[in-house]
Amino acid sequence: MMNLLLVDDEKKFVSMLARRLELRGMQVTVCYSGDEALAAVEKKDHFDVAILDVKMPGIGGIELKRKLQERDSRMKFIFLTGHGSDADYQVGAKEAEEYLPKPLRIDDLIASLTRLDGNT
Amino acid sequence: MTNLFTKFLESLAPRFLHRDDEQLNPYYSHRDYRQMWGMGIFVLLTTCLLPLFLMTLIYYQLIERSIDTESLLRTERVASNARRAVTYLLEERLAALTFTVNEMSYAELSNHEFLSEVLRNLKLGFGGLADLSVITDTGKQVAYAGPYPLKGKDYSSQPWFMECKQNNICVSEIFTGYRDVPHIVVAVKSQQPNERFFMLRATLDTARLVQTLSTYKTGAHADIFLTNREGVLQTPSHYHLSNSDRSTLPVPQFSERTQTMTASDSEGQPIVVGYAYITTNIAPTPFILMVVKEKAGMMRIWLDLRRQINWFFAASAIIIAVVIIMTSTSMVNKLFRTDQEKAHTMMVAERNAQLASIGQLAAGVAHEVNNPLALINETAGYVKDLFTIKHQYQEDPELVEHIDSILEAVDRCGTITRQLLGFARHFDVKTQRIDLGNLVSDVLNFHKKEAEYRNIGIHVDIPENIPLIETDRGKLQQVILNLVNNAFQAINNGCSLDIRAEMAGPERVQLSIRDNGCGISEEHLEKVFDPFFTTKKEGKGTGLGLSITYGLVQKLHGNISVQSKTGEGTTFVVTLPVQVEKDSV
Repeated sequence: MMNLLLVDDEKKFVSMLARRLELRGMQVTVCYSGDEALAAVEKKDHFDVAILDVKMPGIGGIELKRKLQERDSRMKFIFLTGHGSDADYQVGAKEAEEYLPKPLRIDDLIASLTRLDGNT
Repeated sequence: MTNLFTKFLESLAPRFLHRDDEQLNPYYSHRDYRQMWGMGIFVLLTTCLLPLFLMTLIYYQLIERSIDTESLLRTERVASNARRAVTYLLEERLAALTFTVNEMSYAELSNHEFLSEVLRNLKLGFGGLADLSVITDTGKQVAYAGPYPLKGKDYSSQPWFMECKQNNICVSEIFTGYRDVPHIVVAVKSQQPNERFFMLRATLDTARLVQTLSTYKTGAHADIFLTNREGVLQTPSHYHLSNSDRSTLPVPQFSERTQTMTASDSEGQPIVVGYAYITTNIAPTPFILMVVKEKAGMMRIWLDLRRQINWFFAASAIIIAVVIIMTSTSMVNKLFRTDQEKAHTMMVAERNAQLASIGQLAAGVAHEVNNPLALINETAGYVKDLFTIKHQYQEDPELVEHIDSILEAVDRCGTITRQLLGFARHFDVKTQRIDLGNLVSDVLNFHKKEAEYRNIGIHVDIPENIPLIETDRGKLQQVILNLVNNAFQAINNGCSLDIRAEMAGPERVQLSIRDNGCGISEEHLEKVFDPFFTTKKEGKGTGLGLSITYGLVQKLHGNISVQSKTGEGTTFVVTLPVQVEKDSV
């Protein structure tokens, strides 16, 4: 069972996405900010994949990724963004293995997760 | 040929006279090309032609003065020579008569044959004598030699007789007398031992005198004649009054020497007059010699020359004027063309910036809409999952909650699209009364997400007492958007942005946008509104944002200023009129 960390400041969106992933048999920990995510990592041993929103108040997705990597180097990352501009895409593509624009298709996310799981 | 002339005329007329680019007007750096062109021509023409004109004028003055002096000298020379000739003529005859009366006795001279013999000899020796007579102290003529039947005439009442009796010698004026022919009487008195006296009288031919005078007459514009001391003409002259024999010229003041003066004739024409009072060594005479020259006659050569100089001057002035106009036109054309190109670039850049800001707006909107869409997507997806994966949908309260979630997200999208429509509509509207607070809030909506993301604190302080301002909403929105964008680019994450409005007098509102970012160095501060000035890396900034903002504020009849300190931050202050005049925005 895949262990996921889901971080986004859009509370309803992230909780809904978590339920959908749980329906698909994954274990999801939801966080609404970078600080919460860091605290969750401190508490739990290991997340296979972190799904991070790029733009968040406080610690943004990219900064959060670096901090999480410092704590767990095996963790894989998927970025989500609502902006979808070329510039954002370039940043996402550089920083993360997977990059998905909002609104996302669940199948794409599952495919990305499967790919990352397969690479492990 | 006609084609060449048309081209020449075109080279004189500046391009700005026929400009058909009204839409470029706000972008021109110089508005007063007409004044610039006119002033250029005026200054150059004055600089070139005024010295030339003054030099010519001074030259004319000098020439005229030297001609005046020369003509006075020449007239004096002629008068002097003529005076010597007339004096000599009279003196010679007076001397001969004196000699005769001293050498011959009364008895001899009163003998008719002897007197005729003396007359013959005098005519042979000197000429110019018409007759000779002997007159007793009673005025009776006792002997006469000559062509007229005058023997026995009584001259006791004649003026010359009285004068001779008193002064021993006399020269009369020219008069006609008994013989009815103009003549001069010359008489010499001889005192006898018995207290008696007699006079020897000769009459002089005036023809000889007139002929002598005429030899000194030079040219058609000159006259030479004699008057007596009352101004009555003694010899013929042009200068006589029509109904008397007086001269039109005034009697000159007595002088022993030959004199000259300038005067005007009866028609007001300027003349030069040389005169001399004729006095012999033996006796005074009643004559004044007058030499008159018309100034116009003497000036003719100079006047002809002056006409030629004037033509030359006029032609030179026309050539100089044409060259100056052509040069001025060409310079102003070059300036105008450069300005026109710049204005065109500015206009295109402003349009591009407008398009860019619309693009930015669209991106902002897309981002704003994406979040609720993502929520719709997930919620609807979850509902679908419930149907396809869990099969437990009937009368499920959770399902109703999710559908509410979907509806809420749709409502959020609706709000965003309404805002977008409101924003877009403002591009079409011209002048309208707007609430500055609402406008600022609208603009900041597009930066809300970025501010949250970058942890930038935005403080807006727009008091209630700020009135609605009459302006172009779209333009003002763009001004604020550009300034806020600029601030966002200048500040680091965690910094703050203050937007504050206050009244600047009863008619103007002042909006300050202050950031505590990196600031602008002093050397860059004065250039920030210049087009194409940027401190960003090559390809990152166009350098047009603030320049366009400046242009927009100008269009709104406001002004914009900037204060900045490196490391402390920058404040842009926009001042706008509360009300604008009609048709100005």
